[in-house]
Amino acid sequence: MFELLGTALVNVAQLKYLAPLFFGTLAGVVGGALPGVTITMTIIVVLPFTFGLDPLQGLAAMTGVYVGGSAGGLVTAVLLGIPGTPSAIATTFDGHPMAKKGEPGRAIWLGVWASFFGGLVGGAFLIFSTGPLAKFALEFGPWEFFALFVFALSMVAGLVESSLAKGLLSGGLGLIVTVLGNDPVMGQQRLTLGIPMLEGGIDFLPVLIGVFAFAQIMSEVERMGGAARLVDAVDRSLSLAVSHFKVIREILSRPLLLLWSSFIGLVIGVLPAIGGSAANMIAYDQAKKLSRHPQNFGSGIPEGIIASESSNNANVGGSLVTIMAFGIPGDAVTAVMLGALTIHGIQSGPLFILQNPQLAYGIFAAYLLAHPLMVLIIGLAARYMLRVVTVPKAALFPVVLVLCVIGAYALNNTMQNVYVLLAFGLLGYAMVKFGFPLAPFILGVILGDQIEINLIRAIMTDSDPWLFLTRPISGALIALSAASLAFAIWQHYRHRAKIARPAEADF
Amino acid sequence: MSRDGIAGLAVLAASLALFALTLDLKDSPMVPVGPGFYPRIVLGLTAALSLGLVIADLLTRRTRGALPAAARQRLNYPLVAMSFGVFALYAVALPWLGFRIATFLFVGGSNALLDPPRGAKGWVRALVLALATAALTWLVFERWLSVLLPRGRWTDF
Repeated sequence: MFELLGTALVNVAQLKYLAPLFFGTLAGVVGGALPGVTITMTIIVVLPFTFGLDPLQGLAAMTGVYVGGSAGGLVTAVLLGIPGTPSAIATTFDGHPMAKKGEPGRAIWLGVWASFFGGLVGGAFLIFSTGPLAKFALEFGPWEFFALFVFALSMVAGLVESSLAKGLLSGGLGLIVTVLGNDPVMGQQRLTLGIPMLEGGIDFLPVLIGVFAFAQIMSEVERMGGAARLVDAVDRSLSLAVSHFKVIREILSRPLLLLWSSFIGLVIGVLPAIGGSAANMIAYDQAKKLSRHPQNFGSGIPEGIIASESSNNANVGGSLVTIMAFGIPGDAVTAVMLGALTIHGIQSGPLFILQNPQLAYGIFAAYLLAHPLMVLIIGLAARYMLRVVTVPKAALFPVVLVLCVIGAYALNNTMQNVYVLLAFGLLGYAMVKFGFPLAPFILGVILGDQIEINLIRAIMTDSDPWLFLTRPISGALIALSAASLAFAIWQHYRHRAKIARPAEADF
Repeated sequence: MSRDGIAGLAVLAASLALFALTLDLKDSPMVPVGPGFYPRIVLGLTAALSLGLVIADLLTRRTRGALPAAARQRLNYPLVAMSFGVFALYAVALPWLGFRIATFLFVGGSNALLDPPRGAKGWVRALVLALATAALTWLVFERWLSVLLPRGRWTDF
């Protein structure tokens, strides 16, 4: 393992791989810092650039985006009080007050170094657990895979606090997309609705790009009027100079906080489709609950920044484990990475690390090297990034849409995918307006075929349906699915009761 | 009926219509279950869930009162509709005009739509953005990364 990792580190440190990794990390940091531009959108924009690269170059660039984006959000969170990405929301709570108290450099660098150390914890987990987890997944038969995918979908759908029915329905809509076109087992045509475009089925990448890009861009457009900017004005005279030794000592003198927050990030990363936005909030909440001075949180203390930033970068490691060991995207960003793998004819899942050890260890190496690059980029460019955030939306959005078109068209050089992009762009925007979550929908689109294939395989092997429950792993996963839905229902009623309580008090 | 009820009805109608279509699918002699087996499970599930959403919406007690400030915010839906329209035109124009011309027109048009240029300087800025985007993306993708981009049937460009 260490020999493979060492070789991969030397390999990725060559200019051929280091250049895409650097530019990916730079794009991630800038995209992460831009309020209203998420890491998902950044990786969608970067995707077409990877088509002409070899698989490891492309995946190195994407890993860089993921790592850079997870840390980049802290720049605007600290300096402007506006989180660049949802994964930096909790950083705002203490980072911005600290910056306002005259310590912007300390706040930024606490975040950067906490991201660095959290990322390294995530890296250790990624390297040491992917192989054993993939080996464990090799024991799976179709019953277990079916149950695992159902569990992933039920977890994601159940996480929607506002409406469990909408979460499940959103996942169901994603599954419907995969039943249109052709039967993945026998290749028989079905439900084409007389539309020739549907005969070959629908690729998931244009769906993903359309849903996420349009949902986000149009949600911004509806609030626009004239020369809207991501951020209207910034103070460019800030000094971010700081003693790095002091800042690192400040972080490492709180080892339990760093490890616990990183652990939370990892666990949330491993669970499908939850992502850094939940990780940073939960880690912040935990840090506050476990602190001897919870009342100080929100006033600009280092603990709040360390908890939030270490968790969101450790989260990246967790998400990569899920995709590399099980073939299930941990979030929308890894879903795009899954698409990039598919484009290069590589199947993710339990066999990935065995069949492509150089690529798998290359991703580990890229992940590890992306962290010092992220520190370097933020160190050199944090102040200049504040100028980038004043870019007019009217200039940014058309360019992003052009890159989305290139990404969709270049998948198989047909206009069909561009039309799919538009159709699902409309659907994605409508889903947002009707309050449907997008994550279960995307997971449904990605896992739909695999759910069907494994269900049919299981029935073809043995028609006894009880096997789904009586086989230990499959039964446990089905039980977990039921438990996650039961938990979601309980959480939903608790949430409603919480909302109702103050209203009742008014009477 | 609120948005939930309307969305539920739309999904229910689509699920039932597709479910009816699965009844025409013939079973294959090669596999114990036909191509309609799994779609029927999925569509049955979505039909049941959407029906649940409609019923829950009908049973929800409505309270009338002032909307919260966030909900009162006026949203620019005409601009969203026009933006989708411009993008649809771009998608239609791509195979006829080719990537470079269609992209130039799309970026220039979208930019002018989202932030109407004021004076000659504004128009020059929109033109430069459109030209730079079309030229740079073509150079980077087609020339450098060897990613093929749409050629125009009318322009062969």
